[in-house]
Amino acid sequence: MKRSPADVFLPNRFVPPRAMLLVIGFQVAVALLIWILSPFKVLPKPLEVFSALGALVRDSEFTQAVGSSFTVFFKALGLIVGISLGLSYLTVVPFFRPLVNAITKGRFLSLVGFSVLFTLILQDGAKVKLAMLVLGGVTFLLTSTADVVAQIPRAQFDHARTLRMNEWQVVWEVVVRGTLSQMFDSIRQNAAVLWALIPVVEVMFRVEGGLGQLLDVERKYLHLDRVYSIQFVFVSIGLLQDWGIGLLRGMLCPHADLTKERQSG
Amino acid sequence: MAEYEIRETLLKIDGVSLTLGGKLILRDVHAEVKNVHRQGMSQGQVVGLLGPSGVGKTRLFRILAGLDSPDSGQVLLGAEGKPVARGSVGVVAQDYPLFAHRTVLSNLMVAAGQVGKKESDCRALLERFGLTGHEKKYPAQLSGGQRQRVSIAQQLLCSDHLLLMDEPFSGLDLVALGTVIQFLGEIAATDELKTFVIVTHDIEAAIEVCDTLWLLGRDRDEKNEIIPGARVQKVYDLMALGLAWRDGITDDPAYLALLREIRAIFPLL
Repeated sequence: MKRSPADVFLPNRFVPPRAMLLVIGFQVAVALLIWILSPFKVLPKPLEVFSALGALVRDSEFTQAVGSSFTVFFKALGLIVGISLGLSYLTVVPFFRPLVNAITKGRFLSLVGFSVLFTLILQDGAKVKLAMLVLGGVTFLLTSTADVVAQIPRAQFDHARTLRMNEWQVVWEVVVRGTLSQMFDSIRQNAAVLWALIPVVEVMFRVEGGLGQLLDVERKYLHLDRVYSIQFVFVSIGLLQDWGIGLLRGMLCPHADLTKERQSG
Repeated sequence: MAEYEIRETLLKIDGVSLTLGGKLILRDVHAEVKNVHRQGMSQGQVVGLLGPSGVGKTRLFRILAGLDSPDSGQVLLGAEGKPVARGSVGVVAQDYPLFAHRTVLSNLMVAAGQVGKKESDCRALLERFGLTGHEKKYPAQLSGGQRQRVSIAQQLLCSDHLLLMDEPFSGLDLVALGTVIQFLGEIAATDELKTFVIVTHDIEAAIEVCDTLWLLGRDRDEKNEIIPGARVQKVYDLMALGLAWRDGITDDPAYLALLREIRAIFPLL
């Protein structure tokens, strides 16, 4: 098919990466222009935000906050992924299905009610913060990972069985290895939600500091340039961890995107 | 007509019946595959299980594969009559299943590992199937024909002698169909005990590739109403008809007569 510049506006057309870069450049330029020309006085201009960002990264408190938020994030993500994947794989045993089903319904519960309970049981703000994140995270990630396992077609199990595999080998080959790329997709989405939740719990439980607390302090003093510079950092780190998970998925599951029309972004 | 001798039983379907959701699907199915010996040749058996859609072919296929158990009756393998168990029979399903997360070579290696075979066995099979150079590809990178061959190779590695194929001619154009028919004939000729049971509703292709045809269908009562439960109603011996192991049979009057006969019966099955 003959290519033309109009392809970028037509459905299901292939656009070469260089042309796509031009489109991205154009959209970023328009966004910056809108920002610069914005009539809202409370919205700091790009230069103010980036100058605040320069001051921020030189501040030792900021480095500490990033480290603290990152530590909480990785601890929570590790626990959420471990628990969710473990429970999802356990659904191959019928005994565990009602339990997993019940836990996934927990996503309709309000976490606020649990903060008091966790505080009384754990008596440590840092642990309560982690427990809240894990409880919230597991209910959502488990919903999608358990569904990935439930959706495996019978033909895939039968195929493994015809190769003389016992049922545990079938589980390893079909359920664990066969769904790894889909599990990464679920983890990737839930990690983004988890990262967005970090400032919320950091403000709720004021222990260990963190970017959320820093953001809250600047917000109270209406240092909007610093608020948006922290937001910029937050988004950047979020994109970086998202890219990292995507990279890991690509390394461990190189087959996953072979049949897609568009590569995963 | 080619000289041949019928020897020991390789596969026996002995009174298999199956009911699903209160509906009788298979009723007292009996059939047998025997070793056909041709002097000075290695000649496997190719049996076609023909029947219209919905008659119970897939159910019988799953029972033959050891994936499902019948309500009564049994499937016995070999002269010693060993009951079928899953894994003892190679199964190539219609969509040629492979492990999408494994490369071609790795797909074969995982099957070989189950029966203590080595990488050299896998590479030899890849060479024989014309797949050398595709070892590092993933199933998603293969053409339909290549995928079919890898799937057959995977099953051949860890099954004994019996290979079941579900609709191997489905969706193929004439050229691809000819290639598959030739390919199956070649594999069948690699081992005297090799037995293919091909489940299909493609009458022409089945007559071309098979040496025996089983017609699966439901009987009718005196009011011409269908009696629930399919059974093997008719067995055609294509060897006796002089239609087996020959190329270019499609102009043979015997081929055309058989095709007409089966086509006439088919809607009534």
